[in-house]
Amino acid sequence: MKITKEIVERIEGEATLELEWQNKKISYAKIKFLNYRAIEDILKDKHMLDSLMITPRVCGICSHSHVTATINAIEDSYKNIGIELQLTDKAKYIRELVLNAEKIQNHIKWFYFLILPELFKINQGKFVNTEPFKDREWFEAQSAITNILKMGSIFSGQWPHGSYLMSGGVTCDPLQSDITNAKNLLFSVQEFCEERLYGCDIDEFLQIESMSDLMNFDLTLDTSVTIMKELEFNAIGKSYDRFISFGSYMNIAKPLKAIKTRVFNANIKFAKESLENSFFKDNKKGFTYSKSAVYKDDFYEVGPLARLMISKDPLIRDCHRRCSDSVISRIVARVKEIAILLKRSSFLLENIDIKEKSLKTPKFLPKNITSQGIGVVEAARGTLIHKIFVEDGKITKFDIIPPTVWNLGNGSPKKPSIAQKAIIGLDSIEKADFVFKSFDICSVCTTQ
Amino acid sequence: MLTKNGQNCGKIKKRGVNMSTFHSKKTIVWIQGITCNGDSHSFFNYPGMKNFAKNFDIVYHPLLLSDYSLDSILKSTQRFDYLIVEGSFTKVRDYIDRGGHSFEELIENLSKRVEYIICAGSCASFGGIFAQRDKQNITGALFRAEEEGGYWDKNKKVINIPGCPLHPKWLVDTLFMLKDGNTVLLDEYLRPKEEFSYLVHHGCLRNEYFEWKIDTKNFGEKEGCLFYEQGCRGPMTHANCNKILWNEVSSKTRAGSPCLGCTEPDFPRDNVYETKTLMSLPLAPYGISKRAYYTVTGIAKSFKIDRLEKKLIEGYNENN
Repeated sequence: MKITKEIVERIEGEATLELEWQNKKISYAKIKFLNYRAIEDILKDKHMLDSLMITPRVCGICSHSHVTATINAIEDSYKNIGIELQLTDKAKYIRELVLNAEKIQNHIKWFYFLILPELFKINQGKFVNTEPFKDREWFEAQSAITNILKMGSIFSGQWPHGSYLMSGGVTCDPLQSDITNAKNLLFSVQEFCEERLYGCDIDEFLQIESMSDLMNFDLTLDTSVTIMKELEFNAIGKSYDRFISFGSYMNIAKPLKAIKTRVFNANIKFAKESLENSFFKDNKKGFTYSKSAVYKDDFYEVGPLARLMISKDPLIRDCHRRCSDSVISRIVARVKEIAILLKRSSFLLENIDIKEKSLKTPKFLPKNITSQGIGVVEAARGTLIHKIFVEDGKITKFDIIPPTVWNLGNGSPKKPSIAQKAIIGLDSIEKADFVFKSFDICSVCTTQ
Repeated sequence: MLTKNGQNCGKIKKRGVNMSTFHSKKTIVWIQGITCNGDSHSFFNYPGMKNFAKNFDIVYHPLLLSDYSLDSILKSTQRFDYLIVEGSFTKVRDYIDRGGHSFEELIENLSKRVEYIICAGSCASFGGIFAQRDKQNITGALFRAEEEGGYWDKNKKVINIPGCPLHPKWLVDTLFMLKDGNTVLLDEYLRPKEEFSYLVHHGCLRNEYFEWKIDTKNFGEKEGCLFYEQGCRGPMTHANCNKILWNEVSSKTRAGSPCLGCTEPDFPRDNVYETKTLMSLPLAPYGISKRAYYTVTGIAKSFKIDRLEKKLIEGYNENN
């Protein structure tokens, strides 16, 4: 048996894939994350509200998701001592809008900075119009990213690492002119997606229910799907075909899971982290700092594909019918989610009532709180969970379960994790690398 | 043969993609210590990226496609113009692994063959948030928080551009100053004076409330100053955030959130959303004597300014 180590670069942080081979096929893969920053320890003994400063620094690409999970956990702590903080619609909408901006940024960046360059490399340069720092479309994508974050920053103050959230609402208090500015920026990003990515206007695109209708535009999304089909990528990267999402998403407000196309209720109390294979359990036998998240001992995929399978998105259901949970479905789902988020953001901007209060200050002071709470948010890569434990206003324990530990943890040869299962059986390092990246890896989140 | 400044550029093994030379542009290698990638993502927001790309070549960046692997860069003898380091410095092997290399290997190898080392962000400059884990062994390049002596005791190539994250303009403006041969004046913490002579307070829309010592009653309002109760560090934090704005549109204080003092070496402080007081008075702003500040405060506070007690725009936020 041959074992190779492949260091996967150009992801958020770094990971190592250790691949075992039998008969020229990958028989097992160990996914190693070797950098650990001990953020949960850093949070210990800090004042409760300081977590709003610290947790965004878990991750430079999803800092707003982390701060949102933290504020949800803090507000849940209030709730657990009988103080329910009622947020205005304005505060709720602004929180969602800022999060959407981050997710749109993430998906465009992932597609243009990572997936397309990889396809370019694999396909030996036949797909040439998006080379970083060179091609017009790449600069346009970078500009779209900048603009969508500018839109979010009108409310959050800055991105990354904005800290505009506080118990009971948001700290910003926008004017009507700020909303207009945000609408202009959102429109410019929508235009980029229509003209470069999708090939039709966003409403038309959201109506598309079949993959064959998607393939009529000869623009970046459908061209990349064509290339992936030629490379037979519809057959690679399949995992358990099980999906889960705990946070609220569009019209879905409760935890749900899907096994293939059937959707069931889920309960967050069955979500747990396993330390198996990690240095935390056994410094010698362990090989990674990453934990693994399971639902009732089973692995479930999280992220855009999971969300769209659970919400029964027609296009993604059709893609799934043809390609199952392969890399193509994962990629199309993520790019489709950009359109859904743009549309939703437009609705939010139309409906923010600036006359409402931004924040209702809780009368109960943070320093008097002894409680605990759970904060859940649907981040770009899937469900993110923060658990906070507070005594007299100081943090005694903080637990972060990022989306990536659902997808990128390690199981065992008998029961591999989501990404392991997707990699096992492949016949080249190149494919393993691409399948791995189709999960949108974030090593800084994974190990914190 | 590719040449730049008479140096042989052909020594790095290419990954097989046809790539133009970088002899007319300044070359950058970007590496990471202990980081969240936030400075990279902040840099990706730079609005003038096309012009940046005309003038600079990022030969290697951990998050971007490049023609060279980290290994081939390390094995080459090529000289580069600027080394950008994001993330805290450490000599502890267990704390960091970059493609099988320790941070020490990376930094020792690369720092000797560049003209300048630019510490991007507060982690690389002073240790930052991740130094909280082990202040002894996680530091900035030349500082351990405010103390001199970090990873190195001395290194004349270092420029610090702190911030958590740094502002993309601070980085790119400094790179252009260096490229164009302009003098980059640095302050005591090796921060470029062009950006860090300003205080976050400068340009804050709440300045008038600060002048008349009127604090904001609650978070979530346009009115009032965040310095007296909410922990704002604007008057003692060096950075031009409220001059150039973040993402070109806003800033912490404009979004109603206190400045966290993230460009200062003592970042992150404890209990950031509360103002530390001395005999119930906040500390004096940077460079202002206590006597001057408390005298003015006393006088300002003795007046009641009706206009500033009211909402900025009457009629907004009325139905709550």
